[in-house]
Amino acid sequence: MGDAYCSDCKRQTEVVFDHSAGDTVCSECGLVLESHSIDETSEWRTFANESADNDPVRVGGPTNPLLADGGLSTVIAKPNGASGEFLSSSLGRWQNRGSNPDRGLILAFKTIATMSDRLGLVATIKDRANEIYKRVEDQKSSRGRNQDALLAACLYIACRQEDKPRTVKEICSVANGATKKEIGRAKEYIVKQLGLETGQSVEMGTIHAGDFMRRFCSNLGMNNQAVKAAQEAVQKSEEFDIRRSPISIAAAVIYIITQLSEEKKPSLKDISGATGVAEGTIRNSYKDLYPHVLKIIPSWFAKEEDLKNLCSP
Amino acid sequence: MAARRNNPSGIVPTIQNIVSTVDLDCVLDLNHIALHSRNSEYFPKRFSAVIMRIKDPKTTALIFASGKMVCTGAKTEAQSKLAARKFARIIQKLGFPAKFRDFRIQNIVASCDVQFTIRLEKFACTSHGAFSTYEPELFPGLIYRMKQPKLVLLIFVSGNVVIAGAKKRDDFYTAFDNIYPVLAEFKK
Repeated sequence: MGDAYCSDCKRQTEVVFDHSAGDTVCSECGLVLESHSIDETSEWRTFANESADNDPVRVGGPTNPLLADGGLSTVIAKPNGASGEFLSSSLGRWQNRGSNPDRGLILAFKTIATMSDRLGLVATIKDRANEIYKRVEDQKSSRGRNQDALLAACLYIACRQEDKPRTVKEICSVANGATKKEIGRAKEYIVKQLGLETGQSVEMGTIHAGDFMRRFCSNLGMNNQAVKAAQEAVQKSEEFDIRRSPISIAAAVIYIITQLSEEKKPSLKDISGATGVAEGTIRNSYKDLYPHVLKIIPSWFAKEEDLKNLCSP
Repeated sequence: MAARRNNPSGIVPTIQNIVSTVDLDCVLDLNHIALHSRNSEYFPKRFSAVIMRIKDPKTTALIFASGKMVCTGAKTEAQSKLAARKFARIIQKLGFPAKFRDFRIQNIVASCDVQFTIRLEKFACTSHGAFSTYEPELFPGLIYRMKQPKLVLLIFVSGNVVIAGAKKRDDFYTAFDNIYPVLAEFKK
C-alpha cells in the first residue's frame, strides 16, 4: 500500500502491491504501473540453532580482494555419472576454456595454502604470502622463474614478516622440488621487486636462535623447565663471539640442555631431524659453545658438577 | 700511483683480483689457437671460448671467436694491462692481426681486515639496513650494497671486509673510508 503517480488518473493515487504476480496496481483505475518486480527480501528463513555447516544466510565463499573480480565464480559442475549428457558436460568445457585472468593466481594461492597447511601456519601468514605473491606477479618480470621456489620464498618472507620465522630448510621440506639455494635466490629477487615497487619498505629483521627454540623443543618433547632453560641459554649465548648460524647454535644448545636433564635424552640424530641441522654441524657448534657453557646455562637448571660431567667434545 | 692513507686507522685494502677486457679487433679461429698453443684449453661444448693461462703475471684469459678477450687474475692495474698485451702478442704470433683496442678494467676485488669483530645483526637493523642483506642461513657475511660509489662489500663477523665491483682504485679507497667509521660503531 503506497502512493504513486498514476498516468491514467493523472494524479497521486493509492497503489496496491500484489505480491503473487509482482504487480503495482492503481486502486482507482486498475492500471498496472509496474509488473514483474523482483522481491529482494530473504530467500529462505534461517534459525540460530540450526547446523553451522551450511549457513544459508550467505551465498558463496568469502570475497578475495586479491583476485580480479573479488572471487565471484559460477562454474558449471560436471554432473555425477551423467557424463553421457551432451549439453551439460560440453557447457562445462566451454566455460573453462574461456579466458580466466586469475587462473595462475588461483593455482598459486592453492599451492601456498597446501604448503602452509603442511607447516601448520595460521591464516594470517597464508594471506600475507598470497598478497606478496600478487604484488610480485603484478610486475610481469617473473615469468621465467621457478614457480615453486617463488611460492616457497613468498611463504618464507610472510613468516618472517609476521615474526614467526621458519628456517629455509623447513620451507624446503614442504616446497616440492625447490632447493635451499633456489629459495634463497627467489627470496632476494622478491625483496628487490618489493623494494622497487614501494621504495624500500620491506622490513624483515634478522633471525635469532630464540625464535626457533619453542618449536624445536616441542618437536623433541622437552619439558617446560628445559624449554625455559634453553631459551635463556640462547639469549646469553648471543653475547659471546660464536661464529655459527643461529640455527646451529640453537641445535647445540638443545643438545646441551637435553644432556643435562634427567629425562630420556634425544640422540644427535633426533636433534638433527627436529632442527634440520646436520649431526656434524651440531658437534662442531657444541665444540664452539663448550668453553662458554658455564656462563650460558642458567644456574637454576644445572649445577656446576653436572656441567663438568658434560662430555668434552 | 701514490697509495692513499688518509684513513685514521691506517688500514689500506689490498687488491686481490682485477678483471679487464680488451678488443683484439679481428675474428679468431679458436680451434687453431687451441691446437697451436700449449697453455690453452678449448671445449666448445662446455664453453665457447679458449681459456689461456700465462705464468707471469699469473693470469687467465678467455678469448672469444669475435676477437674480444677477458683477462682475470692480475693483482695490479699495470699487471693486468701487461698480461693483456702478452696474450695479444701470443695471438699475433699465431698469425692473427690482433690489435689492442679499448682496454678497460671492469672489476677490482679488494679485501682488508679491520682487526675487530663486528656485530652484524645490529648493523642490519639500523639505518644502514636499507643497503644491507644479512641472512645467516644463506651466507655468513653481510652484503652491503653501497650506492656512492656503486659497489658491494661483504662484511664478516671476523672483521674481514671484501670490496667488489670497483672500476678504479679510488672507488674502493673511498668505500672503505666510508664504511670504516660505521663498522667501528658496531664493534663487539
